Amino acid sequence: MLSTFSNMKSRRKSQVVGLNERNINLIYPNNPKKHYPLADDKVLTKEILHQYAIPCAATYAVIEYNSDIKKAWEYCKKYTTMAIKPANGCGGGGIKIIKKDLDHNWISSGKIISERQIFQHMAAIIMGFFSLGSHDRVLIEECIEPHPFFHKIYPQGVPDFRIITLEHKPLMAMLRMPTDKSDGKANLHQKGVGIGVDMDNGTLTEVYDGKQYFDHHPDTNFKVNGISIPYWKEILEISVDTAKAFPLNYLGIDIVIDKIKGPQIMEINVRPGLGIQLVNKKGLKEVTQKK
Amino acid sequence: MNLKTNLRTVLILVSVVAIVSIGLKLKPILMNYDNFNPEVVYKVNYDYFFKSGDKHTAVKTFVPYQNLRQRISEEKIVNDTTLTFIKDTLKNGNIKGVWNTEIANQYHAVKYQFVFEGKETRHTLPLRFDFISEKHKEHLQDYLLPTENIQSDHSNIKNIAAQLQEETQNDKEIIQNVFDYVAAIPSAPIITLTDALTAIEQNRASCNGKSRLFVAICRNLGYPARIKGGIILENTNKRTSHVWAEVLINEVWVPFDALNNHFAYIPANYLEIHTGDEFLITHTAGIQFDYTYHIDETHHISFLNMNSEEISELSSISLWSLVKGGVMPKNALNLLLLLPIGGLLVAFLRNIIGLKTFGVFLPVLIAFSLLHTGFVFGIVLFVVLILMVGLVSYPFERLGLLYTPKLVISLTFMVSLMIITTMIGIRYDILWLTTLSFFPTIILTIAAERFARATTEDGYKEAIDKLLQTLLATTICYLVLSWSWLPSVLIIFPELLLLIIILAVFLGRYIGIRWVEFYRFRPLFNESISK
Repeated sequence: MLSTFSNMKSRRKSQVVGLNERNINLIYPNNPKKHYPLADDKVLTKEILHQYAIPCAATYAVIEYNSDIKKAWEYCKKYTTMAIKPANGCGGGGIKIIKKDLDHNWISSGKIISERQIFQHMAAIIMGFFSLGSHDRVLIEECIEPHPFFHKIYPQGVPDFRIITLEHKPLMAMLRMPTDKSDGKANLHQKGVGIGVDMDNGTLTEVYDGKQYFDHHPDTNFKVNGISIPYWKEILEISVDTAKAFPLNYLGIDIVIDKIKGPQIMEINVRPGLGIQLVNKKGLKEVTQKK
Repeated sequence: MNLKTNLRTVLILVSVVAIVSIGLKLKPILMNYDNFNPEVVYKVNYDYFFKSGDKHTAVKTFVPYQNLRQRISEEKIVNDTTLTFIKDTLKNGNIKGVWNTEIANQYHAVKYQFVFEGKETRHTLPLRFDFISEKHKEHLQDYLLPTENIQSDHSNIKNIAAQLQEETQNDKEIIQNVFDYVAAIPSAPIITLTDALTAIEQNRASCNGKSRLFVAICRNLGYPARIKGGIILENTNKRTSHVWAEVLINEVWVPFDALNNHFAYIPANYLEIHTGDEFLITHTAGIQFDYTYHIDETHHISFLNMNSEEISELSSISLWSLVKGGVMPKNALNLLLLLPIGGLLVAFLRNIIGLKTFGVFLPVLIAFSLLHTGFVFGIVLFVVLILMVGLVSYPFERLGLLYTPKLVISLTFMVSLMIITTMIGIRYDILWLTTLSFFPTIILTIAAERFARATTEDGYKEAIDKLLQTLLATTICYLVLSWSWLPSVLIIFPELLLLIIILAVFLGRYIGIRWVEFYRFRPLFNESISK
């Protein structure tokens, strides 16, 4: 404890960005509040992405009123798999992935789900169950199949890349992966792991589980250190394109690699977390000052 | 940029004005610093009205003296010229005031006026009291021997004393037993003199009966004890005086009031006038006599030896006129003034230290409630309420209800819980359970709801962690806000509120690492050191 305090001075000079500095120097000057909905509302985000032809999951339908559910469903049910999301959901609540099995039953989380239940879920989204009580919209979109590259590292769930951009330049990146404990979720604070990314070489570096660093995924022992990331150039390109498309200059962009279509933008964040510095063992100021 | 420079100029100007204005008042205030720090100040007036008798007439009373917990000042005696007044300090320390006249059959009005400043005193009793030598006992025999009304040698008193002494381990337990026994006797507003024996026989007594009985039992057990007389000061006119008891414990006279349940404690508003079993007023027999005590509470600032007018003259920039005018209840004014300080404190705890709390200003409001409920009981109640309501709301959380109706359910639970707890408190006479109404119900409900949500979203570990951080913030707020000078300082220096805005601007521009982030990002800091 004493040594921690004696090191205070050297800590001052450190390149780490804390919450205060992130808010005052990165978010407030770069992200005007009036444009937050473009990032917070998935429907608005996708409208812009589609407009600039930036690769992302195809939108099947957007439902605003209960009366439109049936009509939208008639159109969507030809697809064999889809994701149903609230446009303004938080923390991943209210997202349902449904798949058609061989007998044409819809399956969600391993169980058969009736059309009636699907409609109920959509109605619940519209009523605002997953968005703090305000009216919301349903987004039905194509379901992304993770690229086989990820299976070697860890076979389950949907891993994604998080790229931080400032004034259209990618600053830092990490790959987020689910673990046995994280219940399919790739979020760091939901017990997922983060893997650092060498931005210049497009390779993975170390795995960080919130406490310790490893050179392999904690559940599979697959060594990740130095592995090349497929489509890295494209990933950087679409992040820059996305950053340019939005009037928001400090972003956390989430990208998934689809096994057929390659990198796809999943969503964008106006208040990206700071844990990425820990994953990369690097303070954000180190890269903001360099660029 | 222009806006920033303008704002900066305004801020500098405001701070300079505030600091100058504070500085101007600082000197007289430091000069009038009062280390007595009274908690209450009363202006007291003995008002006597009588018609002198056929020949020599005398009216005698006791007048108060100073001691460590009470200060008497601005003594003023008003009477007509036909009366002579003498003040005499008796051997036992009592001060007697006597008005004499030789003129027969004349009406007289007499006023004896003074300012009382008082503090409460609480004593902690040792388990065993120091042994009193026989030689010393001789000096103390006034406090050990029976008197006409304190029949400490009577067999009834002896039996009770023996019973109370049974199965006790130490002196403290004995005194506690005696006190509890006397306190349990039903009280009755008996004006006439009740001696110790009658108090037992009637099984009801007022202050004088209870005090005599308490003293009698103590004396029987060998503890030097005496009667103490005075007035309980309240903002009203009254005719009742009060007596209580004192026991000599390790060279200190420790107060006990079995009627008002004050064990080894004397409240700030107890005016001590005399020791010993005396009448407060005596006068020549057969004359017409009437009296009242006029008592007015005076607003004061505890650390200033200044009266209300002097404080008003100090500066036009002060809130003293609000206090003096009595437009606003003092507690409400204090609370209002402390809110910005509490807010600034929370901002500091959140942005510099990095504590996470349920509800931004919840710690301040809970800290205010704790000032009323007492810290330990208050914290226990707070945690129990949050956990209970959080627990009850949990199934509704899983049910997936809309936000506002869900909040209504939690609110209803919170209110029901508060009512039930208060009822239990009243039924079983548990005082601290009845203080729940001091808690800000709605804010508490929102906190409980956030707690329930945190357990579902981040897991119970995180939720408990955040609850502990909330408690830590509340404790810090309580420590600062419970400092009794703080509201007075703000009343004299309202400019401090301007400085709070300025400090808040600085806090709002602070980009340094929060203290908890040093911990969170410690691998990065260690890294940069090893480089």
